[in-house]
Amino acid sequence: MRHLQRKYETLITILREAYFEKEHAEVGGQWQANAMRRIRGLGPLRTRTNFFMFFEQFFWRLTPATCLLILISTALLFKLDFFPEYDLVASLIYDTEELTLTQLFGF
Amino acid sequence: MPDHPRTPSDAEIIRRIIDGEVNAFEHLLKKYQDHVLRIVKKHMPYQEVEETAQEVFVRAYQALPGFQEEGGFRQWLSSIAVRACYDFWRKRYRSKEVPMSDLSGNHRDWMERTLSRESDTSFHEERRENEAREVLDWALNRLSAQDRMIVELMYFEGLSVKEAAGLLGWSVTKVKVRSFRSRKKLETLLKAVI
Repeated sequence: MRHLQRKYETLITILREAYFEKEHAEVGGQWQANAMRRIRGLGPLRTRTNFFMFFEQFFWRLTPATCLLILISTALLFKLDFFPEYDLVASLIYDTEELTLTQLFGF
Repeated sequence: MPDHPRTPSDAEIIRRIIDGEVNAFEHLLKKYQDHVLRIVKKHMPYQEVEETAQEVFVRAYQALPGFQEEGGFRQWLSSIAVRACYDFWRKRYRSKEVPMSDLSGNHRDWMERTLSRESDTSFHEERRENEAREVLDWALNRLSAQDRMIVELMYFEGLSVKEAAGLLGWSVTKVKVRSFRSRKKLETLLKAVI
């Protein structure tokens, strides 16, 4: 058992050396130029991301405030009894005479 | 005394790039290309190194607006490089493109020959043999993508749990659990063939 463990540790040491040897492999000199070509193809960051970044940055931050504003506005509308469309809807529901939309809006 | 032109700092270059000066990215590429290549060469198959190194810089460029200077650009770029390698292996394993052939007689002979030697000095000769690299690939190909990255970063490179977690973007707990399991898997694999 100890013999097996020793062999294993020796093998791991050799494999670790082989792993670090990979660092010395030569690569071609064209990849940097290709990388820059791809990056230039993407275009400038500011114009590309401006609108979406701005939107993303503020969207979630403003969401609670927007919801609160909607709730307050709705409550205020109820409180002020502000139903300008009420008569319009009532005439559509209760009026037995057939009305066309043109007549209704008085065109 | 002649005035030497001041080399712009990373932060200045990054600011220029974000402001729309795409060509300024070349400074960063030249400065960090060796560092990125060193990382990529260790984790990737040789024929994929150039493509992955390109991918790392493209990802870095795209993520630049979100860069925060806390750990420095070098550390941030290392993390992108390690994650690009991990993504490569995840795709490879998912599409089952990882070679799973058995060890050949040559490899077994090589292991027997090597492991029967007692002298430490022989390691330096043996590691240069192709067999060492092929046995390494054979063992790593039998691990999952996650285990592979953990074995390479922690077992071979000796990074701490925290460092590996930072590079891979995983939690410390995940790295701890994964590191224990992956070491066990590797040990079982290798002990079965020696």
